Amino acid sequence: MIVQNPDLLALITTLKMAAVTTLILLLIGTPLAWYLAQMRSRYKVFIEALVALPLVLPPTVIGFYLLLALSPQYLPGKIWQELTGQQLAFSFTAIVIGSVLYSLPFVVQPLQKAFEQLGNDVLEAGKMLGAGPLDRFFHIVLPITKASFITAASLGFAHTVGEFGVVLMIGGNIPGETRVLSIALFDHVEAFNYAKAHALALSLLVGSVILLALIYLLNYQRPTDRT
Amino acid sequence: MSDLNLNISVNYDPFNLTIERQLPMTGITGIFGHSGSGKSTLLRVIAGLTQNAQGTIICKEKMIFNSETNYFIKAEQRNIGLVFQDSRLFPHLTVEGNLLFAINRCKNPQLNIKDIIELTDLTVLIDKKVTQLSGGEQQRVALARALLAEPELLLLDEPLSALDKQNKSLMLSLLNKVQKTLNIPMYYVSHSLAELQQLADNLLVLNSGKVSHFGNIHQVIHQLNNGGTIHQQTSLSLPIKKHLVDYGLTSLQLNNDQEIYLPLLEQYITKNITEDSTKTDQPKHLRCFIFASDISITKHEHSGSSIVNHLAAKITDISAQQRTTLVTVQCQQQVFYVQISLWSTKRLVLKVDDEIYIQFKASAVHTLDNGDS
Repeated sequence: MIVQNPDLLALITTLKMAAVTTLILLLIGTPLAWYLAQMRSRYKVFIEALVALPLVLPPTVIGFYLLLALSPQYLPGKIWQELTGQQLAFSFTAIVIGSVLYSLPFVVQPLQKAFEQLGNDVLEAGKMLGAGPLDRFFHIVLPITKASFITAASLGFAHTVGEFGVVLMIGGNIPGETRVLSIALFDHVEAFNYAKAHALALSLLVGSVILLALIYLLNYQRPTDRT
Repeated sequence: MSDLNLNISVNYDPFNLTIERQLPMTGITGIFGHSGSGKSTLLRVIAGLTQNAQGTIICKEKMIFNSETNYFIKAEQRNIGLVFQDSRLFPHLTVEGNLLFAINRCKNPQLNIKDIIELTDLTVLIDKKVTQLSGGEQQRVALARALLAEPELLLLDEPLSALDKQNKSLMLSLLNKVQKTLNIPMYYVSHSLAELQQLADNLLVLNSGKVSHFGNIHQVIHQLNNGGTIHQQTSLSLPIKKHLVDYGLTSLQLNNDQEIYLPLLEQYITKNITEDSTKTDQPKHLRCFIFASDISITKHEHSGSSIVNHLAAKITDISAQQRTTLVTVQCQQQVFYVQISLWSTKRLVLKVDDEIYIQFKASAVHTLDNGDS
């Protein structure tokens, strides 16, 4: 089915971008957060600073440097073009790469904190009962830090949905490829089409509130009776 | 040889733990030492939780660690269990979930979960969340969980240190029962000599990372009396003879014609409460200890004293301590340690081979079975 409505197309592109980005973020963010939680070196702060950079840097700065890196004039973009025959900049892949970098701290930081709080005690208990590394991760770490994984994934997803600067810089505004909701909203405002802008802005607002409420609901723990 | 051969050195500058010793893989071996003596480090090295060691560890003729060849069997593959001081239960699982975690990873399960649940008295707690349990209950779950992994060797790292007197006493009885029922060798670390006196068959004493004593529990405790590092005491394991319910006393058979009395052990009283238990096939032995400072010496047989324990003995050694004298006496085969003041030593003109009497109140005979700590 071909979607004709440009706003609906933007919504689909946005959700697709956020879903792929969140999946990649969890796959690379989990081991990175684990490594940082276990790291005892003084150089840890430099890696932490690099991960946290998107929190303080204007998105356009990240977007600008990514645009250069992904263009065929520079090595990453050149390699990509040689391998796929396609240009990397202004593609769906490019906005996913940008989103992963831009949303990285929103996934890594809650996971790192959860792993640090978990400590080694229960993991040592698991070892002494015969559980190997993957067994310990899936049957001890993951269930205990489940709430932090939900938080990390939701924040990563929500932040990606709300992205504008980075996507605009490296993705442009190609319908069905790189035109996401925030850019569509910007287009409507530029065209003084406030009714459509309202519809998009309000749906983003309501969607974000629902998502955050769901995070808090899932993380809500009933007080337990301690004897 | 089914022992544990340790030849290890661990350096945490300036601390160094060096042990070259063969430890038995039967019964309960106590590991005693003051804070920082290396007790827990030793357990962690045996368990495989630290790789920062040099040397070799051979468990039942199987090499599990050799630093020269970089051979290191991971903790999860050593089949050694460890009960931690702080239980370390998995908070996302129920009591049953914690126990199943161990069973599901046991390569050749022989034990029946129901038997272990009954043995550790967890039946009523089985569906509870572990966060809802008291400290004593959590340690019982930790013990049951460790047992269900069916380790070749069970290490216990001060498992009672966070418990109150009542729970301590219950756990000690439980550990005794578990060891006797399942026959799993245990290494029990504690800085409480009283706990170890109640449980261990052998005692390894660590002092600043080195083994200072090793041997039979009672003998080692008596050797420690001369070191000045412990509360000097006589360590005993005697058969229970009689429960004198009307008088609130229990008697223990010391020698053929000598008994010692202690406050009534109510938990041992059976239907026939005044039965002479030494006449049955297997009289129940009781571990107890008497502090040297609680025993006095008299040169004459007493008459008209309220003190119930009055035993004829012979002095075998007199050793002057800093401000007191430690007198070693022999009551037939049993040795006793008596601490008296320098003034009393001078006043009584005590000499080796003197025939004297020692006396102590029933309440001076301590056992954790009656809640003493």
